[in-house]
Amino acid sequence: MATTIEQSEETKAKAEPELLGLLAEFDDPDALIEASKKVRDAGYRKWDTHTPFPIHGIDEAMGIKWTILPWIVAGCGLTGGTIAVGMQYWMNAVDYPFLISGKPLFSIPASIPITFELSVLLAAFGAFLGMLGLNQLPKLYNPIFKSEAFRRVTNDRFFVSMDAKDAKFSEIDTGEFLKSLNPINVEEFWSDTESPKLPRNLTLGLSLVGVVMLLLAGLVAYVRTTTSPDPRIHIIQDMDFQPSLKAQNTTNLFPDGREIRPNLKGTIPRGQFKDDNIPFYYGLKYLPEDQDVVTIALQDEKKTDDKKAPADKASAEKPAAPAAVDPVAAKLDKLPWVTEFPIPVTEKLMARGKERYRIYCSACHGLGGEGDGLVSLRAMELLQGTWVKPASYHTENVRKLPIGRLYHTITNGVRKMPAYGSQVTPEDRWAIVLYLKALQKSHQIDADTISEAEKRKLRDTK
Amino acid sequence: MASVTAEPIDTTIEVPGKRTPLVTGAHNYGTVTDAVCRLAECKTPLAWYVALGISASLMGMLFGLVGYLIITGVGVWGNRSPVFWGWPIVNFVFWVGIGHAGTLISAILFLFRQDWRTGINRAAEAMTIFAVICAGLFPGIHIGRVWLAYWLFPIPNQMAMWPNFRSPLLWDVFAVSTYATVSLLFWYMGMIPDLASLRDRAKGKIQQFAYGLFSLGWNGSSRHWHRYERAYLLLAALATPLVLSVHTIVSFDFAVSQLPGWHTTIFPPYFVAGAVFSGFAMVLTLMIPVRSICGIKDLLTDRHLENMTKVIIATGSMVGYAYAMEFFIAWYGGNRYETFAFINRAFGPYAWAYWIMVTCNVISPQLFWIKKIRTTPWMIFVVCIFVNIGMWFERFVITVTSLSRDFLPSSWGYFKPTIVDVLMLIGSFGLFMTLFLLFCKFLPMVAMAEVKSVMPRPHGKGDH
Repeated sequence: MATTIEQSEETKAKAEPELLGLLAEFDDPDALIEASKKVRDAGYRKWDTHTPFPIHGIDEAMGIKWTILPWIVAGCGLTGGTIAVGMQYWMNAVDYPFLISGKPLFSIPASIPITFELSVLLAAFGAFLGMLGLNQLPKLYNPIFKSEAFRRVTNDRFFVSMDAKDAKFSEIDTGEFLKSLNPINVEEFWSDTESPKLPRNLTLGLSLVGVVMLLLAGLVAYVRTTTSPDPRIHIIQDMDFQPSLKAQNTTNLFPDGREIRPNLKGTIPRGQFKDDNIPFYYGLKYLPEDQDVVTIALQDEKKTDDKKAPADKASAEKPAAPAAVDPVAAKLDKLPWVTEFPIPVTEKLMARGKERYRIYCSACHGLGGEGDGLVSLRAMELLQGTWVKPASYHTENVRKLPIGRLYHTITNGVRKMPAYGSQVTPEDRWAIVLYLKALQKSHQIDADTISEAEKRKLRDTK
Repeated sequence: MASVTAEPIDTTIEVPGKRTPLVTGAHNYGTVTDAVCRLAECKTPLAWYVALGISASLMGMLFGLVGYLIITGVGVWGNRSPVFWGWPIVNFVFWVGIGHAGTLISAILFLFRQDWRTGINRAAEAMTIFAVICAGLFPGIHIGRVWLAYWLFPIPNQMAMWPNFRSPLLWDVFAVSTYATVSLLFWYMGMIPDLASLRDRAKGKIQQFAYGLFSLGWNGSSRHWHRYERAYLLLAALATPLVLSVHTIVSFDFAVSQLPGWHTTIFPPYFVAGAVFSGFAMVLTLMIPVRSICGIKDLLTDRHLENMTKVIIATGSMVGYAYAMEFFIAWYGGNRYETFAFINRAFGPYAWAYWIMVTCNVISPQLFWIKKIRTTPWMIFVVCIFVNIGMWFERFVITVTSLSRDFLPSSWGYFKPTIVDVLMLIGSFGLFMTLFLLFCKFLPMVAMAEVKSVMPRPHGKGDH
């Protein structure tokens, strides 16, 4: 409210305070309606009636125009719906696509609930805030409340207020006019002589709070956009930090106070499963003292062991003399390889071995095991001198190798041959060894030792 | 001065061709204001402090348990495989349902020009807000890592992820928060003129400041009233479909799943009917004692109570029909899992809960066909307590029976609540009652302006 007042043209107020208007008090809604009609007809524009509850019929009596509020609400509702559809489309189909059970990334039926809710939400805010805005509320100060009588406006009294700013307003004429409407009472209301000011401390306090909040917000923004060598502050630690037990410590979690736990009965510790059947899993009769040699592949050993032996790579088929100088091969020779198959030898195992051999081995070693597989032939062509030809199974050396050693080679590889232990199951490896032995036998047999019936059978077999 | 007949009248008698007065006793505008404002102005009775003490302790227990839950984890509840949706969800659906009556009374009855709503709408709306607060608590703490609840909202977080908008659980977030917000706006907007009444009568400085702040400078201007009424009508028109949508969406949490007993199309209307049913029962449970204690029997007459009991008969019958129809469809649909789910509900391990539900929800409201019962407040009160119990059990039966016995017998189990479950349910009533008591004491419990506008005019020239 303005406190320093210049002399107004319309009012006759000598000095401050300024006359703001006149109030006429009624005790009956119907009298108010009648009075309203007369004020309206008298040509006043800036005036109002005040009632404790909405009086039906007063709109026409006062000539109040239809409010535009419904249009505001409709606009807000449409905005809410548009935001909802756009948000769901953009978030789920564009920025962070959620593909769930092959459902479309965006579809109308699934979007309806949220679209409806947001439309209603924004429309409701539109209705509430629109009403307040059009009514110019909230209003923290209103000089009309200085009138004692006006306090009953929210209880049981009805008022007509005439604004002094109206072009037709004059203190005397308007006062006379109001008295002619038969009110209980007519009174004036004046502006304040003093400007209502907020207490100084309050302003200071609020400013301080505002500055502190801005600083905090700035700090958060700064921290979030910069890097720091310090770890993040974890208010809630989730699973980032766990009270893991350490092997040699004590704890009160278990009755025996040990953090390291003994094996449960019937469990097999990780990695110890194979020890129950050493011939089957290692191709050895028993595990030697130096267990490393069992799993170390020859090729790896060569890389790391010593660089003196590179010339040795020419051929493995003549290891008679070099075997003595190759420490790894010598070690391997001394191992207690099995010579009997650790699983039952059957027709089915042979068939399996043939199939697996053709899948994994024949590419290099050839269908007949002569080291003439297609990969090898091609490599010979391209790499010439540097390519080590795969071993033929039909040399004296290879034929003499115990089956355990063959199994070990499939498992761990040798020279250029990679280890197949991870791809081929132990049983399949034994099947391959079985088929390999059959291949070797097929190259060495004397035709005379085969009976006529067997020869016929062989000729018929493809 | 406006006043109606001085002698007390039996408002429950039907007189053909005559409207029953909505306000009885020798009241005029001024005495209506006096009667309502007296609650906020008079010296607070000791009983109020006692009641507040009890309910605030229960509320404290609830928040203590919430703290315990957050520190320890959701394992303190009885929720275990296969029933991961235990009491928290039961309580959530129950409280959301309670929250339906307020907005329904306010919005739908307003649109239908049912003037009798004026006596009860304010308290019913307040009840709505408080029930939704209780409801909102449970899914909030049910998510496990409570401190990550903001993941439900579409706000950018450090993982650059967005919520999945095709999930009914997310629809819930939007539906319940929109409902809470719109109900709050509706309630507060309706209260502005009455807060202005309290402001104009306030004696103390603090009262003057507080009521002055919240009444936003309302001066009863007719130009303001014009926009205000329009805004109120629009809010009512918006709130009406909203009420129906909220419980529909809550029912989607169940109906959109594939679990036998949940995967049914009847759920949306059935949940809404149940919600209105329980909401009205709760309004009556609260208002019957309150109107006697606070001396507003003239504004909240026997007629009001009777009207509400009629709504309870209607919605109670709808709920009963839904129970029957579930069985019929389970048989008629020929789905053996569905059939089993319903036979199991009625005769399986949770038969006790099912029959409590049927007794309370289907049989007890039918007592209101008897005029004596529906016009005797204490009898209404008793029946309404039964309805509230029954509706809690309805949510329990739906949630727990289906989860505990789904398709595979290998995944069956039996749900047992823990003491924390029980105490949290009780605590939620403490929270609700605390808020309601504060409301009774400090806010206008009856919509004065609206009641005055439906009182007969002294000269009989208006439209009332």
